[in-house]
Amino acid sequence: MIDITLEVNGKTKTLSVEPRHLLADVLRQEFGLSGVHIGCAHGACGCCTVHLDETPRLSCLTFAAQCDGSEIRTVESIGGPTAEHALQQAFRSEHGLQCGYCTPGFIMTLMPFIEEMVEQKRLPDDDEIREAMSGNICRCTGYHGIVAAVRKAVNLGLGGGI
Amino acid sequence: MKADRPKHIGARVQRFEDTRLLSGSARYIDDIRLPDMLHLSFVRADTAHANIVEIDTSALADLEYATWVFTGKDTAGLSMKAHQDYPEMQYSEQPLLAEGKVRFVGEPVAVVLAEDAYRAEDAAELVFVDYETLPVIGTMAQARDSSLPSLFDGWASNVIVQRQMKGGDLEAAKAAAAHVIKRTYSTQRQAGVPMECRGVVASYDHADRVLTVWSSTQMPHLVRTYISEELDLPESRIRVVAPDVGGGFGVKGQVFGDEVLVAWLAMKTGRPVKWIEDRREHLIASIHARDHQHTLEAYVSADGRLLGLKADITVDNGAYSTFPFTSAGEPGMVGKVLPGPYDFQAYEATFRAVATNKCAIGTYRGVARPSAVFSQERLMDDIAKELGMDPFDFRLKNIIRQFPYKNVLGFSYDEGSYAQSLEQMQALLAEDVTEAAASRSSSTKRVGVGIACFIEQTAHGTPDFTRRRVPIETGYIAARVEMSPDGEVTIDLGLQNHGQGLETTMAQVAADALGVNPENVYVRHGDTLTTPYSVGTWGSRGGALGGGAVHLASLKLAAKLKTIAAHLLQAKPDEIELANGNAYVRDAVQRFIPIRKLARAALRNVDQLPEGMQPGLEAEQRQDGPKDGTYSNAVHAAVVEIDIPTGKMKLRRFVVVEDCGTILNPLVVDGQVRGGVVQGIGSAMFEHFIYDAECQPLTTSFADYLMPLAPEIPNIEVHHIETPTPLTPLGAKGLGEGGAIGPAAAIANAVANALDVGVSCTPLNTNAIWKLSQHLRGAA
Repeated sequence: MIDITLEVNGKTKTLSVEPRHLLADVLRQEFGLSGVHIGCAHGACGCCTVHLDETPRLSCLTFAAQCDGSEIRTVESIGGPTAEHALQQAFRSEHGLQCGYCTPGFIMTLMPFIEEMVEQKRLPDDDEIREAMSGNICRCTGYHGIVAAVRKAVNLGLGGGI
Repeated sequence: MKADRPKHIGARVQRFEDTRLLSGSARYIDDIRLPDMLHLSFVRADTAHANIVEIDTSALADLEYATWVFTGKDTAGLSMKAHQDYPEMQYSEQPLLAEGKVRFVGEPVAVVLAEDAYRAEDAAELVFVDYETLPVIGTMAQARDSSLPSLFDGWASNVIVQRQMKGGDLEAAKAAAAHVIKRTYSTQRQAGVPMECRGVVASYDHADRVLTVWSSTQMPHLVRTYISEELDLPESRIRVVAPDVGGGFGVKGQVFGDEVLVAWLAMKTGRPVKWIEDRREHLIASIHARDHQHTLEAYVSADGRLLGLKADITVDNGAYSTFPFTSAGEPGMVGKVLPGPYDFQAYEATFRAVATNKCAIGTYRGVARPSAVFSQERLMDDIAKELGMDPFDFRLKNIIRQFPYKNVLGFSYDEGSYAQSLEQMQALLAEDVTEAAASRSSSTKRVGVGIACFIEQTAHGTPDFTRRRVPIETGYIAARVEMSPDGEVTIDLGLQNHGQGLETTMAQVAADALGVNPENVYVRHGDTLTTPYSVGTWGSRGGALGGGAVHLASLKLAAKLKTIAAHLLQAKPDEIELANGNAYVRDAVQRFIPIRKLARAALRNVDQLPEGMQPGLEAEQRQDGPKDGTYSNAVHAAVVEIDIPTGKMKLRRFVVVEDCGTILNPLVVDGQVRGGVVQGIGSAMFEHFIYDAECQPLTTSFADYLMPLAPEIPNIEVHHIETPTPLTPLGAKGLGEGGAIGPAAAIANAVANALDVGVSCTPLNTNAIWKLSQHLRGAA
């Protein structure tokens, strides 16, 4: 067992983990974060994406023991229990989700992309938006609503609304 | 003065369920955690066909942690039985854990339980199974070779079932034909592959004899019934809960042996048991779909009239029959739907399912229709080409225009917009057709346009299942609508929501009937404790039948509210209207009473009720489907661009013109269509479960089983025509599956158009396009 300290969604906790324990499992079981979803456990679908020190990472391909001292954010911290973040709101209005299983992974993947676009003060074209989500699989929506949600969230950000 | 009634049906209402799904607070099967829970890991067959010589579990005794192990000897006699009562169908059943023999890679052989999921998996690897391998049945041809041994004792051959459907005089059609066009088409093995794998948790209370099973299923009541019958427990003491379900697509629309097994293990061990499927297990051993070969022979007059069709259909079913749609379901569906939207009156289909050493075939969005429509619509293009006709003109010449139409098999089609949708699509594609024709002179880049015109029998009722003698047996959906003393509404619904938005659409339906806002309606589903018995969500029946049940139950409740309001407002019940949370006297809106006051009167201040009226505000409705269902129709179109030097294909444009009758919520309808289309694009271009000659699966991860990613997919254009059906209470037809039905045909027709070749199979991946475009690269 290895002792590690993680700061997860602003709360710091020290715990003992086996070297093989996946970050996804530790976040789900030790921190009770049900928004971390495992879709494939081999790094191909993006469902388990979280922010590790402000960068999107696949928590199914990351051992918790690698993360000692890291700051982790999951979807639960983004817009609270009523999903108030502009990207979450755009997912709702543009029908960017159906079953919702891949959704937290998409949100965590796309948030930094939107922030980057807003920072660069430009609206990406659809090809660029689609490329930004090429590491995540959605089986329900056909991606159409997700692309529209990203466009809307960037637009809002450019208008000062994000 | 009249009360202004808002209409919620048809409005683009944002989904209520999205809040929990977006915030991470949804609860899927893996979020069910119980004290003292044991975790289950399967030992699965790693060879496709073998006798089990020995299962050695002795290594588990040396472990420093506790394990529990069970094999087929422990579960002897417990099995999945999925039989259709046809005399010509050979009976098979799948033991919950293999007994003596395994028949496909991934078949459960043993289970190991431990207190930690990682350890259960470690321990399962220590179970040693000694197999005596047997030759495999790996192809349709091998399965139809009666000289090869059968997969089951007592079987005469590996043809599980072979049947026929026919109507009209096919010989006369053939004799009258100027053209006979015969083609063979095939569609590959694939599956729905929801992003959430399957999983089951069970807990048994020995004192009260109550079994609770949580399962990621589309059909909790059917799971309850099967478990009850197999484990000999009263259904009254079994509760099955489908929590949030991360996609189903038909894969989770069967009862699985593991649902029975996990329940049995919870009873046996006295502790809660949890099994969460991993992705490899899902890809090799949940269910697969499609895997068809169709040989079609069309008889066509000199002036381009379809006179008759003869079909020979084979489905590679894999080893076992799945419950409740069985091995006979898939080929039978092709035989039934091949006549499609075209007007001809001579038909004969011979269809069979054959057994091979592969994962079983089950339902996946569209159920056999994507394969049937692929063949039907490839054939229409092939005929048009042979006759030198335009694909639109040929279809318009043969399309059904008079309704109701009785087809060659006797099925009655309700009114649709078949010709209108074709004409609308023709206009939408005019520029692409011109560009495609112009690209014929290019040696490097070709553009192709292809269409698929189809109908879909949806929301079919009990007679359709009785006719097929299929164990699903019935098709009704039940709803119970209840108003509490504060005027809030609860719907307990026999459907199960795995992305369809029914927590919103059903609230819209009830809100219109009851004069309240959708926000005041709480929809509960997926739990047999709270919801009335129903068959679950599948077969494009949620909106049409679930919506119909909610509508009619809500009207019953509204009638009682009106009677109470009339009594309190000193008016007649038929003068009362319910709107905006109030009951008004029509033409005198200043005379009103809030609905919540009526609710309070009905449930608490019952002295205010009319004399003799029973307290309470609840109503139920069971809505069965029409005998032949209600037929949705659509035209799909694909525009592809093919780079000849590399064989790389780009899907430039995908257009849908569809008619699902009354639209309950356009946001949801568009989402269902687009999502279905992209799954269909996966079927057309990417997805393929491949087995080698020994029936070892080669596609066991998302690195091998390729699904559409965002960059490969264009925005999907959707156009609606609304032809409400008189056959369902709201005029709605089914629409959940239609999106997935057309793309393989449309894309294949576009490829055939671009490259000027015949296209006989999917998937049309880069390899396939490379081969199909070989003639355009010359001898270099």
